[in-house]
Amino acid sequence: MTQRTKLIWGAALACALLAGPAAYAQTTTTSSMSASAETMQAHGYWLTTPSPDLTVPAGKDVTIPLTINNETGTTHLAALTLTGVPDDWTYSLKANGFEVQSAMTAPGEKVDLKLDFTAPTSAAGKSFPLQLTAKYDGGQINLPINVTVANISDTGATLEPELPGLRGTATSKFSFKLKLTNNGYEDAMFNLGADVPDGFNVTFKKGYGSEEITGLPVKAGTSENITMEVTPAHNAEAGDYPVHVATLAGDVTASADLVMEITGTPSLSLSGPQGRLSGSAVAGEAKTFPFTLENSGGAPAANVKLTATAPTGWKVDFQPSSMASLPVGASQDVVVSITPSEKGIAGDYMVSLRASADGDSTTASFRTTVETSTMWGIVGLGVIAVAVIVLVLAVLRYGRR
Amino acid sequence: MKREGSPLKGVGTIAIKEAADHMTSARMHLIMLLVLLTAAGSVWAAIGQIRVTTAEDPFLFLKLLTTARDPLPSFASFLGFLLPLVAIALGFDGINGEFGKRTMSRILAQPIYRDAVLFGKFFGGMLVLAIALLTLWLLMVGLGILMLGLPPSGADVGRGLAYLAVTLVYTGVWLALALAFSTVIKTPATSALAALSVWLVFSIFWSMITPFAASVISPLDPTNPMTVLSQFETQQALARISPSVLYGEISQMLLDPASRSVGPVFMSQMQGALVGAPLPTLQSILIIWPQISGLFAAMVLLFTGAYVVFQRQEVRA
Repeated sequence: MTQRTKLIWGAALACALLAGPAAYAQTTTTSSMSASAETMQAHGYWLTTPSPDLTVPAGKDVTIPLTINNETGTTHLAALTLTGVPDDWTYSLKANGFEVQSAMTAPGEKVDLKLDFTAPTSAAGKSFPLQLTAKYDGGQINLPINVTVANISDTGATLEPELPGLRGTATSKFSFKLKLTNNGYEDAMFNLGADVPDGFNVTFKKGYGSEEITGLPVKAGTSENITMEVTPAHNAEAGDYPVHVATLAGDVTASADLVMEITGTPSLSLSGPQGRLSGSAVAGEAKTFPFTLENSGGAPAANVKLTATAPTGWKVDFQPSSMASLPVGASQDVVVSITPSEKGIAGDYMVSLRASADGDSTTASFRTTVETSTMWGIVGLGVIAVAVIVLVLAVLRYGRR
Repeated sequence: MKREGSPLKGVGTIAIKEAADHMTSARMHLIMLLVLLTAAGSVWAAIGQIRVTTAEDPFLFLKLLTTARDPLPSFASFLGFLLPLVAIALGFDGINGEFGKRTMSRILAQPIYRDAVLFGKFFGGMLVLAIALLTLWLLMVGLGILMLGLPPSGADVGRGLAYLAVTLVYTGVWLALALAFSTVIKTPATSALAALSVWLVFSIFWSMITPFAASVISPLDPTNPMTVLSQFETQQALARISPSVLYGEISQMLLDPASRSVGPVFMSQMQGALVGAPLPTLQSILIIWPQISGLFAAMVLLFTGAYVVFQRQEVRA
């Protein structure tokens, strides 16, 4: 025993030589090795909370942390009661996840408790002095908690469009600027979604960024800018299209109704025979190709004219060459007659066919393979035939000698 | 005196005998060795060139025939130059040689007509030439497959076969010419020299003569730019008298699918054209068809001339 004491004193002396405060701490700590190194140790039994006076939102779960400290020499069992709570509130005291009515604290220990309660919306704007009482055999301790229910209509979040209605053609991109504000008390991750007509395409971007996003984190009490881009279906007809855009974070939703007004444009397309854009023609001879002119736009095409750009000496005719109007979705058969130049050399040539209407035009490049006239082939055969006839005549005249 | 039966009876016999004689003759062996060596050399050079320069070409095998690498000319131009020599070697003593060896009367003592002798000589020579050309062509294709590691495409084969057929006709022209000289001229040496001089004139000197002749026939008028065109056309027309020129134009059209015309081309005709797009094989043949029929007709007419002269000759024992 004396040997052990000597050892401790030796160690303490060594510590004192090395560091003064550490040695001091060691000498004053008597009861527990786990006790803190504070010089002034509080003494007694008490109940505390870091937030004794707070403002809470109505209709929300609020949690207040509580602590019971026992710095006496004996174990205390305390029965806990909360007074001053209106009848329509719901509350519970919890320790380690269980609802508790009392708490037992060993000497030098502390117990963490939680007070969960929900203030109804009817309580908004009022203050409630609550009192938590812990009764134990040596007396009782009180902890007053003053709860003020916030007087705000807390919708959680708002979504405000900068411009609720936009106008454009079926081929243009509709860009809506939206401002998402998180009015809640917590940071939230908002998912984004929009109801659009079939065939419409929606993308979301943050602010003026280029990345497409599906959701956006918004800090409590702040707002973020969102750009929503809607690409209409190419065949969207003229008219107003409602767009419902909504954000969702947990049970907090915010939505906005927008309107897209699409002004229709004609969209012409010229397709060749069986979809091909190539064909062959003999030099100097007309060849007809059945083309199809289609209006796949959102408005009728007016003043449709068909023209062609071909090499010099070529003739390109259209039947019909012009139309007063082509309704939406309608197609018109156009017979294109191409006559390559008389002096055209065999090979491939590009003939550009153009259909234009008020507001739109389309060009189809038609690859024409010019073939040589077979006339010279027949002439060549004739030359060979003449030569053979001369040979046959010679054989007949001089043969069998 | 009229006799019964076909005048061409016995042509097959004579043709096969003639072909067999040619096949075993030292003359044929020597000249074919020359052709084989030059052809193999030019194809070898072409393959080396193609490997270096050509990344991808839809008509790679035709390039084997047309690509030249210094100092060797291309396979096609080699053939155009040397094949007449082969044909002349086969035909220059066809008839007068028989007279010289006094074997003509022995042949005619057989139960065949005189017609069959000349026809047989011609077809026998053509048979040998056809075999030689086919072998050469297959050798070239085989070498190409071996060295390039690619099979020829359908269009390659089609154009190659057309080229082969036209080459046979071109060689036939020179065979008919050599036979005609051997019929007209009594001495084999003289007929050989005559045929060789025609070959030299048409192969080498003709390109020098035609511009001169054209400038005499259609002189240039400085005030009229169209005279430039007419002089060019005159020159081209004169040049086309030569079978070598015709054959050159044919091989250019057949072996280069992108070429469109052998005559002068105006800018207006090329407007909107897709330069470099290959023509279909049949279109190329159609463009060059006048030249092909010209060669064929020349062959038939030269043979007819030889035939008429031969039939009228006196044959003594």
